Amino acid sequence: MPRFKNRTHILSAIIDAFIKPPDTTTYPFTPIELPHGFRGTVIMIDPEKCTGCSICIRDCPANALEIQRESRERYRLIHYPSRCAYCGQCEESCKNRAISQTNQTVKPTADPDSFIVVFKDTLGEDKPKFS
Amino acid sequence: MIMEKITIPIGPQHPLLKEPLSLRISVSGERVLGGELRLGYVHRGIEKLAVSRNYTQNVHLIERICGICSHVHTTAFCTAVERLLNLEVPARAHYIRALLCELERIHSHLLWAGILSKHIGLDTIFMHTWHDRELVLDIMEELSGGRVSHAVNKIGGVRIDLDIGHAELIKKNISKLHDEVEKLLEIIMHDSTIKARTQGVAIITPEEVKQYGIVGPIARASGVAVDFRSDDPLPPYDRLNFKIITQPEGDAWARTVVRIQEVHESMKLCEQILKVIPDGPVEVRARRSVPTGRVIVRAEAPRGELFYYLRSDGTNQPARLKIRTPSLPVLEILTKKLSEIQVADIPVVLAGVDLCIACADR
Amino acid sequence: MILQTLSFILVFPGLLFQVMCGWAFEWLDRKLLARFQRRIGPPWYQPLADWIKLISKEDILTHGSNAFILAALPIISLASVLTAGIYVPVAQFNRFGFEGDLFVILFLLSVPTLAYYLAGIASIGIYSILGGSRSLLQYFSYEVPFLLALSGPAILAESWSIQDIIASQVDMGPFSLFQPLGFLLAIVGLIGKLKRDPLDIPSAKSEIVAGPLTEFSGIKLAFWRLTMNIQAVVGIFLIINLFLSWSFLPSLIISSLIFFVECILLTVILSMASAIFARLRIDQVAGLGWRILVPLASLQLIAVVLMGI
Repeated sequence: MPRFKNRTHILSAIIDAFIKPPDTTTYPFTPIELPHGFRGTVIMIDPEKCTGCSICIRDCPANALEIQRESRERYRLIHYPSRCAYCGQCEESCKNRAISQTNQTVKPTADPDSFIVVFKDTLGEDKPKFS
Repeated sequence: MIMEKITIPIGPQHPLLKEPLSLRISVSGERVLGGELRLGYVHRGIEKLAVSRNYTQNVHLIERICGICSHVHTTAFCTAVERLLNLEVPARAHYIRALLCELERIHSHLLWAGILSKHIGLDTIFMHTWHDRELVLDIMEELSGGRVSHAVNKIGGVRIDLDIGHAELIKKNISKLHDEVEKLLEIIMHDSTIKARTQGVAIITPEEVKQYGIVGPIARASGVAVDFRSDDPLPPYDRLNFKIITQPEGDAWARTVVRIQEVHESMKLCEQILKVIPDGPVEVRARRSVPTGRVIVRAEAPRGELFYYLRSDGTNQPARLKIRTPSLPVLEILTKKLSEIQVADIPVVLAGVDLCIACADR
Repeated sequence: MILQTLSFILVFPGLLFQVMCGWAFEWLDRKLLARFQRRIGPPWYQPLADWIKLISKEDILTHGSNAFILAALPIISLASVLTAGIYVPVAQFNRFGFEGDLFVILFLLSVPTLAYYLAGIASIGIYSILGGSRSLLQYFSYEVPFLLALSGPAILAESWSIQDIIASQVDMGPFSLFQPLGFLLAIVGLIGKLKRDPLDIPSAKSEIVAGPLTEFSGIKLAFWRLTMNIQAVVGIFLIINLFLSWSFLPSLIISSLIFFVECILLTVILSMASAIFARLRIDQVAGLGWRILVPLASLQLIAVVLMGI
């Protein structure tokens, strides 16, 4: 048989909650601010620094980076945002600090399989082939 | 009322479960006769996947075993690899790891408190508890960049650092959290409904704890004082003071009390860590290939003891990784405990033992 | 003449008015609950949007259940609450009252409960059957005190017609002042009838998913939800008429305003009760009903009879 005398705690909590503004936001219609260190999209901030050493590819847990190589200088580094886990390991592993992670969210896409981003391309072919 | 034996499926999809689990409970009237349990719905083969990836990739794989206790899994794994490599990780890294472990403990227990209240019918406490949990998640997002997957650990230390701005923000948020959580925990501790519905339900005796190998808050609620933060401490727990909280009764209310008081302890630990954290580097370079050896590491996850066994063979991929998570023995005793309760107590028992099926299935 | 009757049945106080009031009640209830829980809550058109979405969904029948019964039950429930709504006075509009209409309204308001139980049994799923049996047990626990509490005003006014009860309140003042216990018991009975928290064990989400309505979808579920909302509105109107009628005579506008404010007040009370209390177990419901509510209701009834002498 529930007793009613401890209801005053919850009663004061709900009246307090009613007076204060709500905590939820109507997200797409009001902008939110992401913190500075938020792990968002991965970009290549400086393609000149990339030497094609492939450490990032070896360390990526999700196989989201791939290199198509013809020789030491001619290669193409592509990134699959739909496979990416946004862990930041590539930024951590890159010795030359060529890859970096921003704090922007990824734009959604209706076709994740064909969503690729070319980071550095010295191959010179017209279309990237991907597996 | 129907008095013959019927089977209620708490099936893979059910509002009571956070993760899929198949439980077929046979009841007669309002008495539960027993249950059949099937696991494996969230099995992803983590241990097999770990063998074909190198250690750096494995840190991120291990993080995704469980969403609630992700940090402590990676802490245990990184500690195991560091022991095999004989690496001396700087003290500041240990303190940052411990800070996140305690924050994770707070948010896991607040999540559990909300789920228990929701299944008893007190939706309001569920919403308020999860609002306070948002404060913890905000702190973790400021620190590490993600609310659920932190990606803070690496082999050789941590990837983030607490600079002055961070420390002030965390201190401010933790004291705000302290005030709000105090009020909330007062409500839960003195709420006569939660107490009335959980007292005397599904008592687990200390003999059963030893027989089934149960760990964590459930064991502590039966009077068995087992806590790996003091039994086999990872640094820096050997230098911090905290209490181990036990209750003698072993019923669902004792489990509630233990977890709520652990939230208090964890908040005090967070403040202590922020006070005594030493300066210094936060990481140390680690070799990629690990010499042959085997190591066992135990850590205290929010739900109990995490046990990691790692065997390496000189390459940069592990030879065998074995993980034993704290929710497994609870699942074994659950079907036995279910045959002692009424139908109305099923949500109390299932929500009260705080299962993490993703951890259990790996 | 026919046009006038049709407009009474279809517009006011019939179908359109009650449906609008039902949706307004649902919106207010959800919004209040949300604000108590620190959320924003749904916008004003949410119940309408839910209804439109539901009627466009597929209708699924479980294997072995009787399609005719499952289709007839929501229609019968909706029809009975709408009919009850026509006879309940709204502000000063009371064109259809007759002697004994209190009985008819209470009977019509009980039809959805029986239909709810039958829907649970006829759906054959395990969750539905459990929910149905629980709902019948709960019905026996709250209905007796509810009826006893509602008979208090009738005895005090010495008539079973709502019109006379209102008239007698205009003379003596609102009956909630004379029988506060009866007022409280009527609200508790209404919570039980509407199967809201804390008395929502028949549809306890944690144990039996959605109780008797688990297997319903599509337009049948839309009708069930509409029935629940209109039942709430009719119940609130009934309680206001029996316990909270002030002297309604001054002017139409003022009496409508007072009526409207009282409706909102009762909705706030119901929402707060939902937010504060936890769900009672079925044995606690039966204990509450028979050990506490029935003796209190009988006490109130004895007091009323003595007062009337």
